[in-house]
Amino acid sequence: MSALSFEQLGKAYGSDDVVTDVSLTIRQGEFVSLLGPSGCGKTTILRMVAGLVAPSRGRILLGTEDITALPPNKRGLGLVFQSYALFPHLTVFENVAFGLRRRKVTGAELDRRVREALARVRLEAYGERFPRQLSGGQQQRVAIARALAPQPRVLLFDEPLSNLDAQLRDSMQIELKRLQRDLGITTLFVTHDQSEALSMSDRVGVMARGVMQQFATPEDIYHRPATGFVASFIGKPNRLSGVVAARDGKGGSLRLGSQLVLNASSIDQPEGAKVDVVIRQEAIRLRSGDPEPGALAGTIALRSFSGARVQYVVKLTEGVELIAETASSGPDSVLATGTLVSLTIDAGSVFAMADHGAVV
Amino acid sequence: MIASRHGLMLIAPLMLVLAAFFLLPVVMMLPTSFREYAPGAGLVPGVWTTENYARIVTDDYYREVIWRTMGLGLFVTLACLLLGYPLAFLIARGPERWRVPLILLVIFPMMLNLVVRSFGWIALLANRGLVNNLLIQLGLISTPLKLMFNLTGLMIGLTHIYLPFMVLMLVAAIRNVPRHVEAAAATLGSSRLHVFTAVTLPLSAPGILAGSILVFVLTISALVTPRMLGGPTYKVMATLIYDEFMQLLDWPSGSALSFALTAMAIGVIWLSSRLTRRWAGMA
Repeated sequence: MSALSFEQLGKAYGSDDVVTDVSLTIRQGEFVSLLGPSGCGKTTILRMVAGLVAPSRGRILLGTEDITALPPNKRGLGLVFQSYALFPHLTVFENVAFGLRRRKVTGAELDRRVREALARVRLEAYGERFPRQLSGGQQQRVAIARALAPQPRVLLFDEPLSNLDAQLRDSMQIELKRLQRDLGITTLFVTHDQSEALSMSDRVGVMARGVMQQFATPEDIYHRPATGFVASFIGKPNRLSGVVAARDGKGGSLRLGSQLVLNASSIDQPEGAKVDVVIRQEAIRLRSGDPEPGALAGTIALRSFSGARVQYVVKLTEGVELIAETASSGPDSVLATGTLVSLTIDAGSVFAMADHGAVV
Repeated sequence: MIASRHGLMLIAPLMLVLAAFFLLPVVMMLPTSFREYAPGAGLVPGVWTTENYARIVTDDYYREVIWRTMGLGLFVTLACLLLGYPLAFLIARGPERWRVPLILLVIFPMMLNLVVRSFGWIALLANRGLVNNLLIQLGLISTPLKLMFNLTGLMIGLTHIYLPFMVLMLVAAIRNVPRHVEAAAATLGSSRLHVFTAVTLPLSAPGILAGSILVFVLTISALVTPRMLGGPTYKVMATLIYDEFMQLLDWPSGSALSFALTAMAIGVIWLSSRLTRRWAGMA
């Protein structure tokens, strides 16, 4: 059953298209993320759903009801802002009670539901405090409790974790995901952080320049990117300019410089076209020693250890450099600078995209 | 951050000037307010009295002037707030290209001399002034309305003169109200009116308070406009004090009245800040 859907939704400021004809359907209880670089239109979509921005074209449906023209206070949605947007002049209790009072909930019922919402975010003891007396993470949890308390039909999140520090962000991700599962509440989550989107969502919509590039499960987005933009935006890509050397069915081979040839399992461009070659850092496997048949030869130019992962800068022939990433505990995690290595690159992680075809 | 020692050094020059030319004369007036004044002879030597203060409370005429001054202060503050808030809201939230022209319009009257502006109001409000002539010629009234030498005249004149201060304070405060907090209220079910009363208004309370205190203090201490629009007989505390000092040469009485005015101003400011803080949750 569809909980929220867009039909040909678009927004233009003057002649500037910010969102171009986005159509998608979110199922009841589903967690959907809109992912993209800043300025891709994802926040505009969220604000249109919330009723804070009027669409230029298209319709927004909540269940079967057309809410395109409804003012925000009539939509019954919960919105959590990046900057928390708590009411600074009200206590935590009154912040959470705000939406309930608007729905004419009073007395013991109000008290019970506010406490319940605060308990969900583990802030029962903080009802009498003012927002400024709380930490950033606590303020964000109050904002979530405030959005949840009136039992909205859909929860909207606008980059809710990007103001938190890394460790807190990780724990909040898990907490949020669990909360969403427990309540079974349909959720639309806007973020520019791909690991956030991939790890939390049932489906992810990747956007660029106002256009929905791909709307699919996190696995599909990662392993089967629909466009060159998605390929280069997701994961940690190497981007190099090259040429389509040969076509073979759906795939073919790409040439970097004059000699380096890589196989790619999906290429849209015709033979001879100039393209940007995108190679995922984590798809490059290194082994010390001479190249095996079908592998490339390179030299380790730099090793960078960052805890769980190790990154290498590998020099190939003709001055081509690739960054390869690997787990910091495997056999290829201790390669010293200057080591000759053999590079194996999975054809499924090599993509061709139109020359400078996207903003990153 | 500036260390407190450096902070002291930064404000030291101003503090010295204020201490020498403001605080010292004020403190020197304090003994004067407890002296006895003999008409024609000046201060009576060696006599100390609280009569000057007692008279302020007991004398009907003084009491009337005090109530008039306080009432005028409250009325003008309220009028400036009611007229100023919508305008400030338009300047803060209206189209960007209107902002500078509107602010210039607001501060333009301040470029004219206070005396000139007060004379302007005399030309408008006098018995045979523009307003009365117009109303009589339109046949709306047969005898001129009394718009000067009374509370109406002072209120109109002072509201006009102090409105810019209120508007500028309010514009700053309204621009500081975060839009996403208002958006949050809207998504939680607030109508536009409720967003305004429950969020915008309390969050602009610091500006309302600052603007009100400024206008109130300026109004109750205004001298030129009340003198011109109130004439020699319709007095407020500032004109009364001026006359005690300059016409009657009764310095003790003038000093006592000055301290009473200051005390009342401080009292009203203290009370209104407390009330505002409670209302806007700033406590």
